Amino acid sequence: MIPVNVKVKNGYDLPVEGKPLCEVVTLEKPSHVALLPEHIPFVKPRLLVKIGDSVKVGTALFEDKRSPVIKFLSPGSGEIENIEFGPRRVISKIVIKLDSREEHVELEKLSQQEIEDIGQKELVGRIMKGGLWTLLRQLPFRDIADPGITAPSILVRMDNLEPFHPDPEIYLESKTDLFSFGMKVLNRLSDSVVVYTGSKNGYAIKQVGQYLTHKVSGSYPADDPGVVLFHTKKTANENQSWYINGQDVLLIADLLKNGRYPVERTVCVAGSMAKKRQHLHTRLGAPVSHIACGSSENNTRIIAGGVLTGYSVKSDSYLGFYETSLTILPKGGEPEFFGFARPGIDKSGYLNTFLSVFNKNPLKMDCSMHGENRGCINCSTCARVCPVDILPQFTMKAILADEIEEAAAHGLLDCVECGLCSYVCPSKIELGDIIKTARKKYYKECM
Amino acid sequence: MRIIKNIFDSQRKHFEKNGRLRKLSPLFDAAETFFFIPGDVTQKGPHVRDSIDLKRFMSFVLAAIIPTLLWGIYNAGYHSFLASGVEATIIKSIIRGSYIVLPIVAVSYGVGFFWEIVFAVKRRHAISEGFLVTGILFPLTLPPTIPLWQVAAGISFGVVLGKEIFGGTGRNFLNPALTGRAFLFFAYPSKMSGDTVWTVVDKIDALTGATPLAISGLVGAGGKIESALTSAKYSFTTLFEGLYPGSIGETSALLCMIGAVFLVVTGIASYRIIAGGIIGVLATGFFLNFISGSNSLAWFSLNPFYHLVTGGFAFGITFMATDPVSAPGMDTSRWIYGFLIGVLTVLVRVFNPAYVEGTMLSILFMNALAPVIDHFVIGIRLGKRVPNV
Repeated sequence: MIPVNVKVKNGYDLPVEGKPLCEVVTLEKPSHVALLPEHIPFVKPRLLVKIGDSVKVGTALFEDKRSPVIKFLSPGSGEIENIEFGPRRVISKIVIKLDSREEHVELEKLSQQEIEDIGQKELVGRIMKGGLWTLLRQLPFRDIADPGITAPSILVRMDNLEPFHPDPEIYLESKTDLFSFGMKVLNRLSDSVVVYTGSKNGYAIKQVGQYLTHKVSGSYPADDPGVVLFHTKKTANENQSWYINGQDVLLIADLLKNGRYPVERTVCVAGSMAKKRQHLHTRLGAPVSHIACGSSENNTRIIAGGVLTGYSVKSDSYLGFYETSLTILPKGGEPEFFGFARPGIDKSGYLNTFLSVFNKNPLKMDCSMHGENRGCINCSTCARVCPVDILPQFTMKAILADEIEEAAAHGLLDCVECGLCSYVCPSKIELGDIIKTARKKYYKECM
Repeated sequence: MRIIKNIFDSQRKHFEKNGRLRKLSPLFDAAETFFFIPGDVTQKGPHVRDSIDLKRFMSFVLAAIIPTLLWGIYNAGYHSFLASGVEATIIKSIIRGSYIVLPIVAVSYGVGFFWEIVFAVKRRHAISEGFLVTGILFPLTLPPTIPLWQVAAGISFGVVLGKEIFGGTGRNFLNPALTGRAFLFFAYPSKMSGDTVWTVVDKIDALTGATPLAISGLVGAGGKIESALTSAKYSFTTLFEGLYPGSIGETSALLCMIGAVFLVVTGIASYRIIAGGIIGVLATGFFLNFISGSNSLAWFSLNPFYHLVTGGFAFGITFMATDPVSAPGMDTSRWIYGFLIGVLTVLVRVFNPAYVEGTMLSILFMNALAPVIDHFVIGIRLGKRVPNV
């Protein structure tokens, strides 16, 4: 099959410093692991365990009230040490103290042939029982895939241009057979499986070339599944497509092949304040301090997920179910003397107003706002970066005027929440957040 | 730096919640943030942000305007001497020009800033940087002889009725500087047009000249505007370089062009508006050339490039039309908007001899039409999307 080229015109590659090195370190076993229900979008957790229970790897910890067949399994064997609640009794953490036995809940194994022969319902059931159905996500809201529908297509994303995410070269190494196994599973779930990678990612193209259907060229977030779908879809039916990350395909394959809930994850640690920028083999739900390897906590911000779409975590927290990267940036927040008049050889700028246009090196970025909130001046910088051709400035005004129909016509649901509009806004308007909040509201009212 | 920080830190208490001057806190904030970008960190959304802010954005526009201001100062001084029959040196011209121009700029900034503070205090919002640009654009569109009280009246009208009653920067639909100028033009025409307002003179019997547009308007049917201009010592090169009497900042097309290149390269202004405007002027000019007969107005046969360098077109299309707030937001709309400004400018000049300067009216007119253009262009664009609701 010759991959189709998808060109994404808009987008922006952040020149942020701190790319992880391509070496891999295998971390030793942490003393605790945890599951963070609050960072699993839309889920309404109902606890199935209490403090003091002993659990195996693969024991169900909680289920989704909306659909109780969807269960979230324990990433370790040991004892439930703590269940922490956040504001309004949101379950924030289920912490497990690991024991040395490392017992697993054993599930049935499937061979490649059985994958072909087994009924589709049965296969879905096996993945659910194995706790990994949640890795399949459904656009446009990125909720857990609805097992009741047949996906119009499943997009498999091999890499991620957002700074910073694990390189396929690391997680795919010596696992291409497992990937083929996973592809067989996905092919049973939908008639159309779209596997794509960035056109510059030679490694992924070589390794999974036979499955590759699309090559994506463009800046971040060109390889977001929502963006790829936007640029390839022909009809409105495709809006409910599913997607899965390349690394997660391996997990599903591992689960069905070996009959055990897989807890290994390949994670990257990056950012200018990270003590060691590297890739790590570690466990699902490992403590942040364990992964960060002694990076300084003073005046830093630890971000789980990428710098644009991630959320900040404390060093005593744990890595979430979906997150495979930890970025550590300087916190910033120093008032800057005559900041607006500086030449700015080291200041990032989407518009060419800083001398950094002549500076091709990655820049040290911090979490400062670099300015104050002002009214929208309609400069349309946001519309220039939006990868799915939304007009964020007009959509934002439609949302604030409660014209949700109009906002939807503008492509509210096509938004991939990449955060670029907020990033570039010279008036420092939280465009991305306004749109994201409106999407959540839309979800609540329509679902 | 430390000293300035200490000054602000020691005075902050007066402007805080229970301080004596708490109502003036927008003024304090504006002054403080001029020196220090506040150290706020991101709370939601992307964790990192671009380094640009509205101060940088607006100060780049300001930087592009400064050359025309400096030229305006020299030009005003030079012609003031020339009218008295003295060929002055550069230094003397600049000194004389500063006496003429700087008070006008100072009144514009002072009075306009006063209104900004009044509205910021009353509405409890921050003082926006947009006024930095309005405050300098407005005086540059005025003749150097303008009485200072009229400057104050004009900028008040522009800021209050052109901008603040709509809610401040970002919510106005007309360019505030041009609104102010239009007000002065129609309220006090004797000080805004005619042959005597363009040069400051000391003596009654000094020789003052008409502007190129005024001369052009007097050429009868079948005449050649180019030769009329040349005999009045307005060659194309002079008009392009800008050493002739006119509004303070509008005379030099060359400097406007440099400003335009600067704004386009830095990504601040939309090249589509500027290019659209130039195309609009040339297209209309060539079309009129094409249909002109032997007894049609002299304007019909004018070389279209003269339209680009006379009057305020170069200044208007570079600095006024590209004001993003009053311009449309879509790329296609910006082409249309610019193009129609160009077309209207020429049409007003050609068909309305009583009022030869068309740029101001055409930009204001297109400002009012910008939302309509956007409405249709957005409609077409949304129609192309695969629906997702």
